[in-house]
Amino acid sequence: MTPPRLALSDICKRFDGFPALDGAGLSVEAGEVHALLGENGAGKSSLMNIAAGLYTPDSGHMALDGVTAALRGPADARARGIGMVHQHFRLVRPFTVAENLVLALGGKAAMRGALALAADRLGFALDPDRRVDSLSVAEQQQVEIVKAMAGGARLLILDEPTAVLTDAEAERLLSTVRGIAATGTAVVLVTHKLPDVRRFADKVTILRAGRTVGIVDPRATSDDDLTRLTVGERAALPPREAGTPGRRRLELIGLRCLRPDGRPAVDGADLHVGAGEIYGLAGVSGNGQSELAEAIAGVRRPAAGVIQFEDAGADVTALTPGARRRLGLACIPADRYAHALAGDLSIAENFAVGRIDRGDYGPWGWVDRAAIRRATAKAIAEHDVQGVRSLGQKAALLSGGNAQKAVIAREFAGNQTIILAHSPSRGLDLKATAAVHARLTEARAAGAAVLLISEDLDEVLSLADRIGVMSRGRIVAEFACPADRQAIGRAMVGHG
Amino acid sequence: MIDFVASWLAATLAYAVPYALAALGLIICERAGVLSLTAEGFMLVGALAGVGAVLALRAPPLAALAVGMAAAALVAVLFALLVVVLRLNQVVAGLAMVFFCQGLTSLVGTAFGWTSKAIGGLTRLPLGPLADLPLLGRALFNQDILVYLTLPIFAAIAWLLTRSMTGLRLRAVGESPEAADAAGVNVTAYRFVAVLAGSALIGLAGAYISVGSAKIWIQDMTSGRGWIAIALVIFARWRPWRALAGAILFGCIESLVPRVAAAGIQAPRYVMLMLPYVVTLGVMVWMAVARTGRPGDEPAALGQPHVREERR
Amino acid sequence: MARLVLDIRREASAPFHAALTAASVFAGLAISAAILIAAGVPPAALADEFVVATLFDAQSLHAVLFQAAPLIMVGAGAAIAFRARFWNLGLEGQMIWGAIAATAVSLFEIGPPMLRLPLMFLAAIVAGMAWIALPLLLKQRLAVNEIVSTLLLNYVALNVLLHLLYGAWADPKDSFPHSPLYRGFERLPELPGGISSALVLALAAVAALAWLTLASRFGFHLRFVQAGPAVARSLGVPVLGVTVAATLLSGSLAASAGFVIVAAQEGRLTQSFFTGYGVSGVLIAFLARNNPAAAAIVALLVAILFAAGQNLQVFYQIPFAMVQLIQAIVVIAAAAADFFLRHRVRWVKGIG
Repeated sequence: MTPPRLALSDICKRFDGFPALDGAGLSVEAGEVHALLGENGAGKSSLMNIAAGLYTPDSGHMALDGVTAALRGPADARARGIGMVHQHFRLVRPFTVAENLVLALGGKAAMRGALALAADRLGFALDPDRRVDSLSVAEQQQVEIVKAMAGGARLLILDEPTAVLTDAEAERLLSTVRGIAATGTAVVLVTHKLPDVRRFADKVTILRAGRTVGIVDPRATSDDDLTRLTVGERAALPPREAGTPGRRRLELIGLRCLRPDGRPAVDGADLHVGAGEIYGLAGVSGNGQSELAEAIAGVRRPAAGVIQFEDAGADVTALTPGARRRLGLACIPADRYAHALAGDLSIAENFAVGRIDRGDYGPWGWVDRAAIRRATAKAIAEHDVQGVRSLGQKAALLSGGNAQKAVIAREFAGNQTIILAHSPSRGLDLKATAAVHARLTEARAAGAAVLLISEDLDEVLSLADRIGVMSRGRIVAEFACPADRQAIGRAMVGHG
Repeated sequence: MIDFVASWLAATLAYAVPYALAALGLIICERAGVLSLTAEGFMLVGALAGVGAVLALRAPPLAALAVGMAAAALVAVLFALLVVVLRLNQVVAGLAMVFFCQGLTSLVGTAFGWTSKAIGGLTRLPLGPLADLPLLGRALFNQDILVYLTLPIFAAIAWLLTRSMTGLRLRAVGESPEAADAAGVNVTAYRFVAVLAGSALIGLAGAYISVGSAKIWIQDMTSGRGWIAIALVIFARWRPWRALAGAILFGCIESLVPRVAAAGIQAPRYVMLMLPYVVTLGVMVWMAVARTGRPGDEPAALGQPHVREERR
Repeated sequence: MARLVLDIRREASAPFHAALTAASVFAGLAISAAILIAAGVPPAALADEFVVATLFDAQSLHAVLFQAAPLIMVGAGAAIAFRARFWNLGLEGQMIWGAIAATAVSLFEIGPPMLRLPLMFLAAIVAGMAWIALPLLLKQRLAVNEIVSTLLLNYVALNVLLHLLYGAWADPKDSFPHSPLYRGFERLPELPGGISSALVLALAAVAALAWLTLASRFGFHLRFVQAGPAVARSLGVPVLGVTVAATLLSGSLAASAGFVIVAAQEGRLTQSFFTGYGVSGVLIAFLARNNPAAAAIVALLVAILFAAGQNLQVFYQIPFAMVQLIQAIVVIAAAAADFFLRHRVRWVKGIG
């Protein structure tokens, strides 16, 4: 029997004392597509970064074709035929495609060889003279795959390759990957998408909390079983409840936002959300959702259009984020540490900043630290924020789910009437996700207008009363719930 | 009037050389992603070391320039250790290095008695009949050796940065250390060497001020030229040839200052001395206004330490 | 294969932090002492010069405290600007303008004698704010780097000063480049007990600043601005207002330092009264981790260093530049210690 192309076993890796991998293993045969499945934070990327020579494991064993391999770095990994496409591409954006290939492959001849390989074997039509930052995400990914495959990769690692692609692009990519495996290359497909795994993988290894918990044949395993292995318990979305929409509270009229290069990111978006309603905004990532959310939050100045808070009777388009908050806006942004938490400051300070302006914690001249601590302690207990050793602890030390709960504890402290939630369950485990969803439906029951922006169609379908689909900066379709999933999916990619 | 212009142009290049070389050194550092606020300090080190070599070692002027380069590179080892190896905040480390160099040079200069002692220094090297051309002869072909060498130095560095494999890797390190690292480039080594090489050029710029033009060492004699060079790099958008053009512009202005008084034109001395700083500020404002709303040209990872095993 | 691995340390305990800072400052001082000994100062004399001759001698102690007042002000001024993420390296320029404005009030005899001194102080503050307002505006509006702009403006301010002192404002009584002496009531008085009113002014400023940054809502918001202006803005913190206020305050503190030097120490505008204070202000703020109260203590230590530096100059011919060198070495040592605060270095066994 031939030894596996890649064998990792008992791998441990700690970051600043916190274990990311704790006895993980993976065994990949030549010519197979091997899926590595797991939730966010399960350690998939860390394990693959070890296989690609970027991280040094604390302990464990690694073998290539049955020979123990201690990688000295990424260059050593490539010399041994290991290529990896990272989730965040390792491309130099102001360089051309050709320059990126020369950099990665070490010479012009190798670059030309790679371009020939791209065209002949992979079917990619890449213009070597275009700058990488002018390429689409899918094209950038093709450059990365060419980089990884050039020079005859015998092991190709793809980290969440479909996360940034439309369905059609993902389909094309995964077919290409099957073709690559057919030539004898071993492929590791890191993902958390079950349908991709079932259709394209020969075998699947499941990681949970840094540990390998299962190695199964995806075609002989049900979705339920895969899910149970991945998350440890059965996933069940709560039954959909209907809201009772009242009058309009948030309205966007002809909203336009521009990217730095002057192209529109939001291109004339109109929508309104009523009291007691959850409006779900679905769409493939990168179609203007982030810019729309930032415009509503007040951190991005729109190029044109109007944002109205109807209760306040106010056109808030020109107001600061602080002023909008005082008019009843609560924000749960997608990027917590860019927009919602100052990671270097304490949990108590991050909680108090929400209402300090209203004099909740003493007069201007004297901030009452004891009052802040009392209020914070109460709120984190109510919202079940775990992992708080002290209220003076840095917010950056909270795990994803608890950081999100801390944000919600602050944002919901003042009975806000308009709630903007952008990917509120991204990176959270099931329990934390359920808690976040419960808070949103409670807010709806209390009469708030909730705008839920999410790339997770299941989340939108289970919570929303109405669903809008955003594509290329516009709301291209609206559906009343319960809505047809296939129709929404078509609207999402129809314009893409 | 012709005499005035002739003497002005004749002096311009000598004033431009320190700006040009210092800016070129900074471009090397910053293209590799290391924000170097150290220029003012390293120029002082180069200037003092050059004069010291002449006075203490009786070194010929060219060797003194080399000593200035070496001394700046030596001090830069400390800076590179701080920001490249220990990955400290590059602003704090850079400022601390400037203060360190200011203190060190005035201490050493005083302790060894090198302050305010005139030296021979570089001499002019007329290029045969070319030097006798009207106007341009004095301006271009009757200069010292370093003025002539500046052009090939720029050509070599510009070629290295934009055409060679080394330059491609260096720029990759400054734009995206993660991508460079994944491509097998040793980010730490590239940055370390870039800091040393860039600082050597900055030291050469300083040594030229003392050994080439002033022919004397005075405490804090660079008087802000290092900071002007930093502004010049922003103006040049990190491109060597634009930096050279900017340096000549600054040389023009600075060489004008002493000539106005000598020509008997009534202008308050200290107001004239302000001119280079005011013009620099004006250029920075003009650049900022002209480029508002456009994407920046600075290396994307400028000022950011690289740690591979950082979990994102 | 065993290998050295570098981790990002996410949190360091307070005792670890304090011990590290103390160790690094000690290391910096030890290096400086070695340099002094190499320069010919007998090791036994070091303690004498730095401790006995500065603190245990009434006259020297008086001089140290006198010296400390402007250092406290520039240190606190640098600290408040750094908290607002504004690299104010224009402390010397603001000092110069503060002193020029105060001197103008004296020269042109503005206001009655009773109010002259407060008016000089006020003029200094306004001038300092005005001088920092330009780089502040350029940074906020056009993103012009304030490190370079404030430094360049120092040279402009210096040339304005020289223009005045070598021209219209020169003392007619002699040919030196300084202004006429201030009148008696234009000088900061010595209070009963031999305490300089400059020191009282500096301590009052630090107390006010400590309250503002540590206890008031302004200080609460300032912490968010320091942690990250983008997040702060999203959270409704009035980032622009806080930044502008803190920066103007910084300029006015530096200008006050200029004012107390000319009004208490020199008694007139001179051409080099500010030398070395800009560097010290930045270094004090850095060592004090931008805490105003800590800045006062560090400033006192720097004042001792200044006094010792003068002694060394007199008795051992050590150039005064040694003072700046020692400060720079201590700061480099303290900065280097940050490496251990931010990173964790460990051996790992790796694949085996």
